[in-house]
Amino acid sequence: MQQFINVTLTGLTEGMVYAAFALALVLIWRSTRIVNFAQGSMAAATAFIALALIQAGWSYWAALVVALVSGFVMGAVIERVVVRRVEGGPELNAVIVTLGLFVAIQAGIAIVFGSSFQSFPTPFGLQGFQVGDNRIAFTPTSLYVIGAVLVTMGLLVALFRFTRVGLAMRASAFGQEVARLLGVRVGRMLTLGWGLAAVVGSLAGLLIAGGEFIYPAYMDSLIVFGFVAAVLGGLDSPIGAVVGGLILGLALSYVSGYVPRGSALVNVSALVILMVVLLVRPGGLFASSTARRA
Amino acid sequence: MTVIAAATAASTLAACGGGGDDSGGGSGGGDSSANEASDIGITETSIKLGAHFPLTGVAAPGYSEIPTGAQAYFDCLNQAGGVNGREIEYIYRDDAYNPSNTSQVVNQLVLEDEVFAIVGGLGTPTHSAVLDFLNSEGVPDLFVSSGSLLWGDDPETNPYTFGWQTDYMSEGKIIGDYIAENFPDAKVGLFLQDDDFGEDGEAGIREYIDDQIVAAERYTPGNTNVGPQIAALQAAGADFVVGFNVPSYTALSQLTALQLGYDPQWFYSNVGSDPTLVGNLLNNFSQGQVSDASLLDGALTTDYLPTVDEPDNPWVQEFQRIWDECGGEGELTNYRIYGMSQAYTTVQALQAAGQNPTRDGLVEAIETAGSEWEGPVLAPFRYSADSHMGTAGMSISRITGTTTEQVEPVQLTDIGDAEIESYDGEPAEVPENGIPNEESVVD
Repeated sequence: MQQFINVTLTGLTEGMVYAAFALALVLIWRSTRIVNFAQGSMAAATAFIALALIQAGWSYWAALVVALVSGFVMGAVIERVVVRRVEGGPELNAVIVTLGLFVAIQAGIAIVFGSSFQSFPTPFGLQGFQVGDNRIAFTPTSLYVIGAVLVTMGLLVALFRFTRVGLAMRASAFGQEVARLLGVRVGRMLTLGWGLAAVVGSLAGLLIAGGEFIYPAYMDSLIVFGFVAAVLGGLDSPIGAVVGGLILGLALSYVSGYVPRGSALVNVSALVILMVVLLVRPGGLFASSTARRA
Repeated sequence: MTVIAAATAASTLAACGGGGDDSGGGSGGGDSSANEASDIGITETSIKLGAHFPLTGVAAPGYSEIPTGAQAYFDCLNQAGGVNGREIEYIYRDDAYNPSNTSQVVNQLVLEDEVFAIVGGLGTPTHSAVLDFLNSEGVPDLFVSSGSLLWGDDPETNPYTFGWQTDYMSEGKIIGDYIAENFPDAKVGLFLQDDDFGEDGEAGIREYIDDQIVAAERYTPGNTNVGPQIAALQAAGADFVVGFNVPSYTALSQLTALQLGYDPQWFYSNVGSDPTLVGNLLNNFSQGQVSDASLLDGALTTDYLPTVDEPDNPWVQEFQRIWDECGGEGELTNYRIYGMSQAYTTVQALQAAGQNPTRDGLVEAIETAGSEWEGPVLAPFRYSADSHMGTAGMSISRITGTTTEQVEPVQLTDIGDAEIESYDGEPAEVPENGIPNEESVVD
């Protein structure tokens, strides 16, 4: 029973981390209709910036703020300088460009910060809470991760649903011409979308890093899992991304904990889950608009 | 330098056809016969050696220091005259612990750099990828940095490959025997890397304490979430956990156990146990969370080489001198001692292969004389025409802070059902300049 609880809690926390990353993918998809594979490297870059600051004596929170801001700047600059040139062209071009960025940024991190393993601090404890006589696999850090992801999700939902900016962003992504005719500054909205997505991505990167090890490629498996989580949730819905992340996190944790040699089957299981969901519900679990493809 | 120049001049003048009295040995190279370019990678004044190591990526912490140790040793050796008047040119390339990269860099070393031999290539999955290539090309593949059985148990199939460190199966047996004697009531859990490394170790340990083992959990390198595995060990009631894992997973398993409040007696096999490295990995957490290396306090581990925390050991003193004089940045570490010790054995092999070594002669020299060589390694090698396995013995020690204390002297064994016995040999003396002096056995 204790093992079941611990495996479940581990899966819950991991799932929230996938969800955080999926949120960033959803955000960029909603605001620009591009799947951004460079998201992982961009997040890793900001995590390394944060680590450098922390090692220079800054507090975690100050470093977090700087990382988020640098994430925003990086996202906006990349959109303006690189992605802008392929926007509006065939969708595949933009995807390939983000793949190229993914590799280039990762190499850049290795050049600037080196490629060794480093532990990344967390502002909260790493010891599990005491329940009765036992400690459970749920730490103050897990609580912080889950809280941060839920708050972010709430903010995103609010942004898209209740603000004019959110509406304008969706409009620009959905139909550039129409939006422009209605007076929306489409270019600005796209830049804003990239910037915000990069902020959420970099938050995810820092949440994942807390109490773990980072190296230039540490986000690689997260990109896959985050992408699966986002697609599970329909790629369009922040709530879907979080639910997708949780489902994936729990499922993978059970596979790892209960199937013999499960650790080796984790990646395969993610693929199986993705295929099953896409076969049963091609638009993802939370698809609201299969017919609305632009 | 003058000696080398003289030898070169002599060879040009005499243009002798080899043979003669290759007396080998020594480090001066001022022997009567002349140096020749006797094989690929050998010139009158140099020997080119190649290696592949993970300098980046998941396996880089620690392992990337090994070639820097070897480089320092070869640099000091070259200053002292090299091997028979030949300088060692040592080229190591990064494979990032990725087998497809290993194939590529080893191809480059063999075909473009034209090395005489590969020395100390690191890793079971990585080196497996080039095993056939090196043996079909006839390139000596010395002293693989891995304890897999693959390198030594079948010399007929792989005549050019030699192991070096204690193999994981023998290590498992020595650990199992120690647990059976000292912790007969322990409920043992195994934390294993899901490949040959974990499998060989498990096979060895099960020969002695099969009935004490309550759980065997496997992790896949690259999947950094070991929560489910550690939770399963805890749930199985294991109060003694033996890990056959790489150093980053020592840190991960310690972190996860801390999270779960799980506190068994830990026993990490030699590969994953370097306290300094694990301490460094956990370093950033120590800001108010974890008191760094003390996490490993009380854990048990095995040794087949002297370690940096034995400053009175004459080998460590000599390696410290070499590192201070010829090394690069950073401190002498256990990984650098490993690289230097491997370089030491390499020099023994080159000396034994005679004044004008050939690739086949090098293999013959190791098979003939290798089991006699003494050096920093605690127990003798098993080299013969029938076995290319490396050293066979290990001691067991307990980690306290960043140092270790021995709890069991060197034990000797072999793969299969060979018995375990105490090793009664004396530690080897350190030769002058830390350079061996082996006689040529190939003529």
